[in-house]
Amino acid sequence: MKKWVPIASGLLAGFVAATISFADFSNSTNNQVASNSTKSDAEKVYVPFGEKDDYYLFASGGHSGQMFIYGVPSMRHIRTVPVFSPDSATGYGFDEHSKKMLGDYTWGDLHHPAFSETNGDYDGKYMFATDVGNSRAAAMDLETFTVKDIINVPNTSGPHCAAFVTQNTEYMFLPTRFAVPIGSEYKPLDDYSDQYRGVMSAVTFDQNKDKLNIAYQVALPPWSYDLSDAGKKSSADWAVMTTYNTEEATTNLEINASQADRDFIVLFNWKELEKMVADGQYDEVTGQKMIFPEKHKGGIYLVPVAKSPHGVDVTPDGKHFIASGKLAPSMTVFSFEKAFAAIEKQDFAGERNGIPIINYDSIMEREVNPENALGPLHTQFDDKGMAYTTMFISSEIVKWDPKTGETLDRVPVQYSPGHSVAAEGDTVAPDGKWLIALNKIAKDSYLSVGPSHPESMQLIDISGKMKVIQSSPVNPEPHYAQIIKADKIKTIEVYPKDENNKLATYKQDQARIERNGNEVHVYGIAMRSKFIFDAKAKRPDVIEVNQGDKVFIHLTNTDFDEDITHGFAINSYNLNIEVQPGQTNTIEFTADKAGTFPLYCTNFCSALHQEMTGYFLVKPKK
Amino acid sequence: MKTKKLSLVSSILIALAAILVGLSLFFPWWQMIFFAPQYPEGLNIIVYPNKLEGEIDIVNGLNHYIGMENFSEENFPELAYLSYLVIGLAVITLLTAILRKKSLLYGLIGLFIIGGSLGVWDLTRALRKFGTNLSPTAPIKIDPFVPPLLGHNTVANFVTESVLGYGAYFLIAAFILLLIPLWKDRKR
Repeated sequence: MKKWVPIASGLLAGFVAATISFADFSNSTNNQVASNSTKSDAEKVYVPFGEKDDYYLFASGGHSGQMFIYGVPSMRHIRTVPVFSPDSATGYGFDEHSKKMLGDYTWGDLHHPAFSETNGDYDGKYMFATDVGNSRAAAMDLETFTVKDIINVPNTSGPHCAAFVTQNTEYMFLPTRFAVPIGSEYKPLDDYSDQYRGVMSAVTFDQNKDKLNIAYQVALPPWSYDLSDAGKKSSADWAVMTTYNTEEATTNLEINASQADRDFIVLFNWKELEKMVADGQYDEVTGQKMIFPEKHKGGIYLVPVAKSPHGVDVTPDGKHFIASGKLAPSMTVFSFEKAFAAIEKQDFAGERNGIPIINYDSIMEREVNPENALGPLHTQFDDKGMAYTTMFISSEIVKWDPKTGETLDRVPVQYSPGHSVAAEGDTVAPDGKWLIALNKIAKDSYLSVGPSHPESMQLIDISGKMKVIQSSPVNPEPHYAQIIKADKIKTIEVYPKDENNKLATYKQDQARIERNGNEVHVYGIAMRSKFIFDAKAKRPDVIEVNQGDKVFIHLTNTDFDEDITHGFAINSYNLNIEVQPGQTNTIEFTADKAGTFPLYCTNFCSALHQEMTGYFLVKPKK
Repeated sequence: MKTKKLSLVSSILIALAAILVGLSLFFPWWQMIFFAPQYPEGLNIIVYPNKLEGEIDIVNGLNHYIGMENFSEENFPELAYLSYLVIGLAVITLLTAILRKKSLLYGLIGLFIIGGSLGVWDLTRALRKFGTNLSPTAPIKIDPFVPPLLGHNTVANFVTESVLGYGAYFLIAAFILLLIPLWKDRKR
């Protein structure tokens, strides 16, 4: 035994020394913080430096065309991601990819955001959004928080009633707010009921190619489709959406679309529609596979509901859907199971526009009417399945039990909430804890900035009795938002090298300018703290072209380092792009102005950022 | 003559040393970590017998501001042949274990001492070269400096920490293993 002592001690000496040098003895355990119940309101929302928020909030930016990213519970604004509008801060709409995606549109109206889902739960991969202003849909990659694809949706105008994704992101449905004739052709409004349609689109997203695609469309009656939700679990193959203006009014909708006592919820089975399309039960119009419900029967039903409803929300267990009355001061709870039974038995009360109407009494579970609660718009859920409905007119959130209809709690908000959003509150497994009221009116909540006010987001602690504990101003205008657990999102910090990308230049000595007729391609590098456009030139940071040349600048940021983003702008040429770490980005333009134009890095990158400049010289035409 | 033969235990120890020497090829030998206010997580230069790893490009990118030459595998020709020397050393060590000759062991220990000293000298030389051979046109002028082989050093906003890697510890452990037979098979 004794003989081994020296060996062991020798090895031990080595490893002890190694451990001392390499092991991390820094104290990584945080001091245990007080439990949520004993914290003050200020402590609940305070996230000290070094710690991060528990949740991301993705708030739609409305007519800014952007998406706002906040942290919850701190309610700190982290980032604005441009989606449907150009944004010079990130070069969105200037570089080739985003410019092509935006086309000629310079604004959008981003309404309802929706995360990609797996088994009815957010999977943190993609965020989808729709543009009511110019009828588009977009997909944002959550590795980079950048938009990968935008699709123009034909035959439709203003997909307000969207986006909602099915529980494994098979489809994103985009029903329209405005009815228009097929192909948006000219048709007199006197022919509205015959010639106009409220087309709904079934959009798929190819995650490998980052491509949105329209699988098929449904030519629903010319009504306005407002909000929607996909079924969950036992109702996973189904979806619901609310309608208004079933009166088919064509003017002064405020009055004329508010006449009928009942409007409808459209209940449809997307699996059945998918099968109909596979079986060829559709007409080909404007290059789309169009289902006309009066002709291609099946899969679509109408449920009468108190007039002009706004939200319709499926409970986390997937058994019920709840319509919010807006103009009728009540929420109506419907049963999916009863609806399926009624459809099975053909328990119908006639038809409207060729679509069967299910008997209201057969599937209605209860009408819930909290005292003096007015203008119910939209419902979210907590971890116990309790419902939280925003009351636009009485400016409050009402918590109630969908199983009994009992009102459990109410809290006033400032003022006029449209939607609210709970932590993962529209999934199969809401988290509870937090609810944020997305208020349309801020009035005197913040320091005045003149007559145009920000909107307001109020954070409500729903772990016990509801209490507003933080208020955060926000740019116009969050219509809806989604809250996702932070650890579900896995971002990248640096774009990986892509040796197959012919436009990328990673080696400094390969930076070059190639001329082909009147096309000039610059394969350049941006790095701390210089540009290299032509490695062999006397002045590598100068681009010289002839007036009228078509210029392509393919710029690679070779700083593969976290948070070292470079910008690229040419003075007076009205262009600016961003190259994120490791990214290659292209900008294309015509050198139509002769002269001398300094170029520079617009995104502060280093101590010598100010020196990161060059010249763009355009020789005049003879 | 018989007494000059190393014992079986000693032979095993030397064989173990040979294994450790061989093993050291697969682990870093030396590492310099750069910390700055903007880089609290640290940037690394990790030296293996045959390659450099770590955030070399980033370190180079930052070092160009003070006019330091780029760290690269081309700048260290040692990396091309060092692993063959190590393999050779492992083979000689193994042979010593098999032949169990005391004279060979003395020679081997001598080889270790010479090799180790050369290694330390070479690294010191490299550190001196990089720290003192700064470009006169660098945007930020600093006094030439020689980072220590081991321990802390401060340059501008960076604090560097130089440490030995597992590979170096394996070599040290191997050397200790070679010394044990001297004591164990001392004159009896």
